[in-house]
Amino acid sequence: MPQAGQHEHSIERMSVTQTQAERTAASQCWSCKALARGGHFCVSCGKIQPLPRGTDYFAFFGLPQKVGLDEGAFEERFHKLSWKLHPDNFVRTGEYERSLSLERSSELNDAYRTLRDPLSRVEYLLEHLGIRKEGTTKQQAPPELLEEVFELNESLDELREAKAEGGDTANMRERLAAAEKNFQQKLDEVDAELAGLGREWDAALDAKADDAPKKAVLARMNEVLNRRSYIRNLVFGVQKELAEA
Amino acid sequence: MGRVVGIDLGTTFSLIAYMDQRTNEPKCIRGPYDSPLCPSIVSAKLDGKVIVGEPARRRLLTHPARTIYSVKRLMGRGVADVQDELKLFPFRIDPDGGNVIRVRLGEKLFTPPEISAYILRELKSWAENHFKETVDRAVITVPAYFNDAQRQATKDAGRIAGLDVLRLVNEPTAAALAYGLHKQKRGRVAVYDFGGGTFDISVLKLVATGEGDIYQVLSTNGDTHLGGDDIDNALLDLARKEIHAQFGIKLDPRGEAVQELRKELIRVKHELSAENETVVQFPLGPKGMYVRTIGRTEFEALIQPIIARTMTPVKMALADAKFVPADIEEVVLVGGSTRIPVVRKTVGDYFHRPPHCELDPDQVVALGAAVQADILESGVKTMLLLDVTPLSLGIETMGGVVAKIIPRNSTIPASAQEMFTTGVEKQTAIDVHVLQGERELAKDCRSLSRFQLKVAPGPAGLARVEVKFLIDANGILQVAARDLRTNEQQTVEVQPSYGLSDGEIERMLEESLEFAERDISERQLIEARNEAETILQATIKTLGDPRARELSAEESTEIQESIARLRVAMVGTDYKLIRDKIDGLNEATMHLAEMLMNSTLQSALQGKRLEDV
Repeated sequence: MPQAGQHEHSIERMSVTQTQAERTAASQCWSCKALARGGHFCVSCGKIQPLPRGTDYFAFFGLPQKVGLDEGAFEERFHKLSWKLHPDNFVRTGEYERSLSLERSSELNDAYRTLRDPLSRVEYLLEHLGIRKEGTTKQQAPPELLEEVFELNESLDELREAKAEGGDTANMRERLAAAEKNFQQKLDEVDAELAGLGREWDAALDAKADDAPKKAVLARMNEVLNRRSYIRNLVFGVQKELAEA
Repeated sequence: MGRVVGIDLGTTFSLIAYMDQRTNEPKCIRGPYDSPLCPSIVSAKLDGKVIVGEPARRRLLTHPARTIYSVKRLMGRGVADVQDELKLFPFRIDPDGGNVIRVRLGEKLFTPPEISAYILRELKSWAENHFKETVDRAVITVPAYFNDAQRQATKDAGRIAGLDVLRLVNEPTAAALAYGLHKQKRGRVAVYDFGGGTFDISVLKLVATGEGDIYQVLSTNGDTHLGGDDIDNALLDLARKEIHAQFGIKLDPRGEAVQELRKELIRVKHELSAENETVVQFPLGPKGMYVRTIGRTEFEALIQPIIARTMTPVKMALADAKFVPADIEEVVLVGGSTRIPVVRKTVGDYFHRPPHCELDPDQVVALGAAVQADILESGVKTMLLLDVTPLSLGIETMGGVVAKIIPRNSTIPASAQEMFTTGVEKQTAIDVHVLQGERELAKDCRSLSRFQLKVAPGPAGLARVEVKFLIDANGILQVAARDLRTNEQQTVEVQPSYGLSDGEIERMLEESLEFAERDISERQLIEARNEAETILQATIKTLGDPRARELSAEESTEIQESIARLRVAMVGTDYKLIRDKIDGLNEATMHLAEMLMNSTLQSALQGKRLEDV
């Protein structure tokens, strides 16, 4: 009897300094054997190229690994690349080129989906640089929030009890709504903190700073992200309970 | 290679369209009944021959046990999925088929893709008649909210019908394409597609770029079991209850009488889109007649819950696109049910703007499919559709919880890579269960496929198998696995849970080719007879013309004999013989035709009207 599979998430770990160009510089075009230079298409014959393993989403878009993003230019780039890579262009080509188009256009869309959203962009950056492991956020309450979380959980318990006994819940709902507002505000604060760290990281990249200070910024970003995820779950929980009440 | 077409395979009607290269506009092809709408109805005759469309619709009343409609509701589904449907629709499902749906039509059993393939083949023959050329490739539309299995089933139907399915396109996206092309509009568009059996809402962004126009779908939502059929059922429910109360008659929901009543109620529904009041009239034999006046207000109240059901997906799609109603610049209505005034009003009120309905809501999807087919075929790209996957893709993890790996509304193609390992020592295979849906537990999502990854036995956790899940541009899942320790690629058979295997499709394709040959020769016979009839009548009419008296006796005899020979051939079934005798008659009347032509020409030159000659 086969056992149910355990699945874990795969992350290509790599050093902060390694770049896409270094990893793919030596690749040859599959069709004309010219040096393909790691682009989407061969510079010599124009044929679509296979996607090297471990390509990163930033490099795919030709972007630096920054938190800040010019959304308009990003959308435009997405449309340009879609126009070139979409399987529509390869309906009449051979099977191999069709498979390459599928590979590249799905990577494009995966990258677009991930980088478009500011939060998932930061998460991806941290995962990509080996700072964060996907799906393993710490579910411990941040120390400064312990007291409030304790109170919140108590209120939630009371509400559930009252609901089970068919009692009046209006009072508790009010308290919970106030707590939700409070945590929502904390979420905004955390987001502001994260944005600040993002700017710090981008500036360090621009200044070609050393690895050590850069890693320190990343570590702090990761911490804030964990805190954010914890608070977000709290807010979700309260909202769910309120919606059901 | 033959022609390429766009096909709207609908619940109630299906259409086929092509790109007119002269006008550079898409056009629907009309069938033998001079309508572009082919009723999606299939009927098996006593001799085993299967008929489709209008003639099949007529048999709905005379041979309900041999006729099926709304088969789209069964596509890509298992018996357990359709229990609710079975209460409302007279599907005769084989009880011995396990969870695989097989429908009984007369003596034979058919899978839903086979039945849909009959509809596709009928449309294909319309197009082949139109072009006088084979048609072998098509873009087929599907509801945006169709899941993987429903898409796969549609693609299978295409293959069984002998069509290379170039692409499955979502119906609202196809409509947006036809609409955008027609109006030359840009901006944020919502397409509200309320058809016979499905409801879809899609939110798109139409962007002009340096290369051409991009139709980017931002979000989609819907209900694959909500449509005009439900409105018919609500009316039917009311009428059956009243008939029971007034006459004590309980109409069998699968009987002929109910089909007749449904037909009358559909007429009433259509009439209430134009009139404020109409009368239902339904004879009940010796017990009298059910006569009932129904006003628009009562009708609107009756269908209000159904229309309300469309608004939940609308709100969710807007939220997913991160829009509020006021952000939407244009609202496009698609599908026959959007002809109902209260539907238009509800949508208009929600978006605070009158919706567009200037394109025929029945044809717009097929027209869009034809545009996309032309783009794929010609390789000349003037626009690009970027569509999304309607449902999240997930895999089952410990405790029956679903881990989402590709979220809904991701632009397709989209992919996700996951690493799998073993949980116990000496394990030789890892089970992977792929699901689609938004719920957290596997049991609440739609099971797409289960497969096993083979691994060499070893300590727990040593194996490393990387699985790549990829949703292609059709919205269909592909899976590839690679053992990272041996670097060996594994082929993964993704067998849809209730789908057809490749072998089954091959067999159906072979059978269909046999049928097709028979169908073609029958069609040729009909065409030859029709042509013979036309030329016979024309000849007889011409022989009555005064100018025909100038023919020699020999010529007259030859013509009379040719007519007789053609009449004999027409009684037979050899279309080649009929063609041969048509040619014979044409030859015999050649001189006569020339004579008439000359005198007509002369009179034309003299400036006289033909009738005056």
